[in-house]
Amino acid sequence: MKARTDRFGRTELPERQQQALKRAIRIEWATIAFLAVAITAVGLVTGSSQAMKAAWIEDMLSLAPPFAFLLAVRLANKQPNPKYPFGYHRSVGVAHLVAGVALFTMGAFLLYDSISGLVKAEHPPIGTVVLFGQQLWLGWLMMGVMALTIPLPIYFGRVKMRLAEELHDKVLYADADMNKADWMTAAGSIVGVAGIGLGLWWMDAAAASFIAASILWDGIKNMKAAITDLMDTRATTFDEGKPHPDAAKVDDYLSGLPWVADAGARVRDQGHVFHVEAFVVPRRGMSPTLEQLMEARDGCIALDWKIQDIVIVPIDELPEEVGGPSAEHQSERNR
Amino acid sequence: MSDLYDGRATVGLVKTLVRMMAAGVAALALTGCGMQIPADPEGTLDRVEGGVLRVGVTEREPWVDLDSQGEPAGTEAELVTRFAERLDAEIEWTTGSEAALVQALEGDQLDLVIGGFQHDTPWVQHVGVTRTYTEVETAGGAKEQHVMLVPMGENAFLVELETFLHEEVGR
Repeated sequence: MKARTDRFGRTELPERQQQALKRAIRIEWATIAFLAVAITAVGLVTGSSQAMKAAWIEDMLSLAPPFAFLLAVRLANKQPNPKYPFGYHRSVGVAHLVAGVALFTMGAFLLYDSISGLVKAEHPPIGTVVLFGQQLWLGWLMMGVMALTIPLPIYFGRVKMRLAEELHDKVLYADADMNKADWMTAAGSIVGVAGIGLGLWWMDAAAASFIAASILWDGIKNMKAAITDLMDTRATTFDEGKPHPDAAKVDDYLSGLPWVADAGARVRDQGHVFHVEAFVVPRRGMSPTLEQLMEARDGCIALDWKIQDIVIVPIDELPEEVGGPSAEHQSERNR
Repeated sequence: MSDLYDGRATVGLVKTLVRMMAAGVAALALTGCGMQIPADPEGTLDRVEGGVLRVGVTEREPWVDLDSQGEPAGTEAELVTRFAERLDAEIEWTTGSEAALVQALEGDQLDLVIGGFQHDTPWVQHVGVTRTYTEVETAGGAKEQHVMLVPMGENAFLVELETFLHEEVGR
């Protein structure tokens, strides 16, 4: 089955996003192929280096986000139906959570492992191997293999970061983070093995600890983002950097309509696309006609491809959470 | 990109890694170009060369045979004797149980322990283990992969021993 790349559920994608989605699917498959090779190669030379072990486990866990992404994209394509009236977009949120937990688990495990190695003053032994009849210090081989695994994740990460913004896809964003963790782990393990080579036994575990702390931080950040999105926090940009501008755009557009006195929208991130509930207070004596309401809806949908599922609610006063007056001293009942 | 992505944690990590690399290069420069890679954190190889090789032996024929009078015999004892000659070192033999010898190895009281150990030895958590230097088939048809035990992380010494075994036994 080939994933469709022209739509997310009921949302038709603009040309630009279709291209981005095609590219994202290709690059995730490329990532999986690369990881399969890297896991095999690193596994063969891992030996007793903490940092190498860290890199190896990291590579295995980094398989989770690409698979989560590919699966989520397929699911998100399904149309809404009576059982799933909001569609399947939330599969992205679930995949984001999976990716975040993968990062978090790996970071926590590695941090414990490398710090306990430091505390117990474990001196990692690295001996020799025979390669094509030549005896060679395994450390050289480790550093060589790790160096080979650096360039591609840097490239993958940069491309995914751009596509994540284009597609508003937080799984891709988490995966870009994972690729960053990948190449940093590789660089760290080279430092660690070089340290062992120089007789600085602690450098391996120290490098591994710093890497692990950075992975753990990425994990916490992504897990938090996924959980808050599933909690229907206000929609943010793909990197959780700031509130998504679409909410303000909807407010501005609706407020600008001649029959509208005030407007405020609740926007939640379904994954890729938004679900918008826009409250509008009509001007006194100007109750909107059905045509005006439909026009307002179509106008909102035209603002951004991410806005498709929108409900417009005419109301006498805006709810407090979308900018209405404070409800501290009043309740719905005694108004 | 947001400030979350390129956060201070990342910058700090990169700085730390660069600093570590610089420390490594400095260490390399200080020790001069004659530096051996890998090096021993505790300097075992340096101490043994032209000095004393402290070898722990535990009986397991035909690898180590303690029955005869005088020095230990057996194939591994002979290999170690030749290894000591190569390093211009005197051998100081210590006999004991595996547990006692491994403890001494961990406590820096021995440099090498032999006694027909195999590559899947449970002591791998406590000591360094050489690459399999020879493989024999037992009467039952199972493969035995033989190794020697060295102090944990004394990599110059480990590499020297493995190189010797590679040249002598050819594996």
